[in-house]
Amino acid sequence: MKEPVGRRKRIGICCGVLLAAACRAWGQEPADFFRENCTSCHTIGGGRLTGPDLKGVQDRKEREWLVRFLSNPQAMLDSGDPYAQKLQQEARGVVMPAISGMNRNRAESLLNLIAAESKLEKSQFIGLQITDRPFTSAEIAQGKTVFLGIQHLVKGGPSCVSCHTARDLGGLGGGKLGPDLTLVFERLEGRKQLAAWLTAPPGPTMSPIFKRHALQSEEILPLVAFLEDEAKKGGEDQSAAPLTFLLLGLGGAAFSLVMFDSAWKARFRAVRKPLVLSSTHRGEE
Amino acid sequence: MNVRSQVAMVFHLDKCIGCHTCSIACKNIWTDRKGAEYMWWNNVETKPGTGYPTAWEDQEKYNGGWEAQNGDLRLKSTSKTKTVFNIFHHPHVPTMDDYYEPWTYDYQHLFNAPEGADQPTARPLSMVTGELINIKAGPNWDDDLGGSPVYAENDPNLKGLDAAQREQLSAIERLVFFYFPRICNHCLNPACVASCPSGALYKRGEDGIVLLDQNRCRGWRSCVAACPYKKTFFNWFTGKSEKCILCFPRLETGQAPACFHSCVGRIRYLGVLLYDAERLERVAKLPLEELIEAQRSMILDPFDPEVIAAARANGIHDSVIASAQKSPVYKFVKVWKIALPPHIEFRTLPMLFYVPPMAPVMARKENGSVHNISEDLFHDIDDARVPMKFLANLFGGGHEGKVRYALRKQKAVRWYRRSLTVGDVDAETADRMLHEADCTREEAEAIYRLTSLCTFDERFVIPPMHREEAIEMMADPLEHKQNVGFGFLTGPRRGL
Repeated sequence: MKEPVGRRKRIGICCGVLLAAACRAWGQEPADFFRENCTSCHTIGGGRLTGPDLKGVQDRKEREWLVRFLSNPQAMLDSGDPYAQKLQQEARGVVMPAISGMNRNRAESLLNLIAAESKLEKSQFIGLQITDRPFTSAEIAQGKTVFLGIQHLVKGGPSCVSCHTARDLGGLGGGKLGPDLTLVFERLEGRKQLAAWLTAPPGPTMSPIFKRHALQSEEILPLVAFLEDEAKKGGEDQSAAPLTFLLLGLGGAAFSLVMFDSAWKARFRAVRKPLVLSSTHRGEE
Repeated sequence: MNVRSQVAMVFHLDKCIGCHTCSIACKNIWTDRKGAEYMWWNNVETKPGTGYPTAWEDQEKYNGGWEAQNGDLRLKSTSKTKTVFNIFHHPHVPTMDDYYEPWTYDYQHLFNAPEGADQPTARPLSMVTGELINIKAGPNWDDDLGGSPVYAENDPNLKGLDAAQREQLSAIERLVFFYFPRICNHCLNPACVASCPSGALYKRGEDGIVLLDQNRCRGWRSCVAACPYKKTFFNWFTGKSEKCILCFPRLETGQAPACFHSCVGRIRYLGVLLYDAERLERVAKLPLEELIEAQRSMILDPFDPEVIAAARANGIHDSVIASAQKSPVYKFVKVWKIALPPHIEFRTLPMLFYVPPMAPVMARKENGSVHNISEDLFHDIDDARVPMKFLANLFGGGHEGKVRYALRKQKAVRWYRRSLTVGDVDAETADRMLHEADCTREEAEAIYRLTSLCTFDERFVIPPMHREEAIEMMADPLEHKQNVGFGFLTGPRRGL
């Protein structure tokens, strides 16, 4: 009898898998990479979001500096680079995060992409151009249905409520894994930033999920409308949710115990003890 | 006809003296282990009494055995659906209190106790927790009617007895009891086997011994709840269930099981029965009053050439058939019809049969003198201190006919022998009694011999087990031939 898969063969398979993965990473278009990793803070020709508009960035600073900054923004800051500190101030203290999968080659190709896009009249990364008009109550209401997951997300992503809560959701509120989104509109300072965030959520929890199940513009608009409305009403979710939750838990536990007891009513309890008790108390009546 | 062989048993209750030697023999061999201390694969109960575990016969509480409903046979305690919901906690398993908390004594205390005004005593220690305990109950707590206002009066077999009969049972000078030794019945339709979610229990093909595979058992305890005789036990130390194995290692080497071998009253008989497995399902569903007769009809005549041919076709060895022809069990159950299954109403079709006891004496006191002959020769069968209904609840599924038949025949044999040896009964009366009890002189002589003068080899007709053939049902003995050899079950990871 021989081993079904020899050691050498196994190593071969491992190498193959690794190689395939690497090829895929290399093969990823710089445009896709930009869309997934950069658009939540940057546009090309769409104006400033959290980070600066990148149109013509190659003219503002020499290429070598840009490559180094892209590779490790925090290190540049720590080295006391004056331009990096200026950028941080402009972004009101937000530091650009290190992007996973970033290296010299990738940075080069991204800069090439930005240069090419900057020359275009209307770049594909101009960002979601969100309207300035006041939202209608219909849009706000639709936003709430999207938030609650009553309206399913087109690309199959999980609904907001599964991890986030907001004010006046009813019931026990939303999930507690992510932050309360009641005031997120104020925190991100405006429609544009919020819409950009929703286009490609950058957080470590959300990005791996929404990379593959991106929100669509017809979903982002009502969500922004809903969250703006929430923020304008003011005040975070200060309801008595924990107490309700506790009471519901206690009530539910009591209810299920009663249900168990009735379902297993005929269960065996004891034979000998009741027998002895009944005969010892027989003469007392 | 689907002929199978089964090692079956008869316990002759008229001979049991309630010495518990069988229980001790069994305990010493099999259950003297951690986690098994409380188990009594063999135990001896006093009747009336509640037995071990307390009131085990009360299936309204314990939910053991089968019930026939709308032409269907169902386990009372479980079903495929119920198994899903009850798998992690079976709702019908007896508590430790209903068996008893096993204990030993703190003998060291006798030596180590500090000097004081009192004699030191050996205090009882729980064998489960190791703590000092107050003993509340034991496996034969109601032995010889001990604590009878609690235990004997609550015997489930008293159901159907009127108040006067119940009172009589415990009245001074009428007090009566007999012994009821129990082991696993190795039933034809075992509820334990049917209930097991893991398929760990099985009835051995060659001899019908019901065994519990310790490797397969996952400790769900369905068998404990399903067995109406409460003869499977959960070992709290190993987390697996265990039961009587009918000392199969002894049987395979031609020895009687330990409890049989050690029996002081020589009440136990063991031998092979051939039965028709084809009829099993139909029989188990029959109405209660037909059950005993139907089970008897499943047992086949080992002298019938047709049966022999069918047995051979089913792989039953000639030596086993020859053993079945000499089986004492066949005689007691099928030929003489004086051995009856216990609690046939549980519908497991037990293969351990009991000869009902004749207790107590058959004489009757009238106006200060003892009378033992009246016009109705069998009057005392119905007037006995043990009400017929009580015995019928135990051995007749509530119907008195079969029990009365067995007792009448036993009495006729006694009187026949009395006419021969004592001579105070004339031969004519004896013959009349034999005739009325559906018995002949030859049969009476045979019953007498096998009851009173039986030798070891007459009581235990152990068939050759033919393990070398039986194993072929489970595994091919040539499976590893011309394979790797030299003790390898799986090939070494080298060589060609």
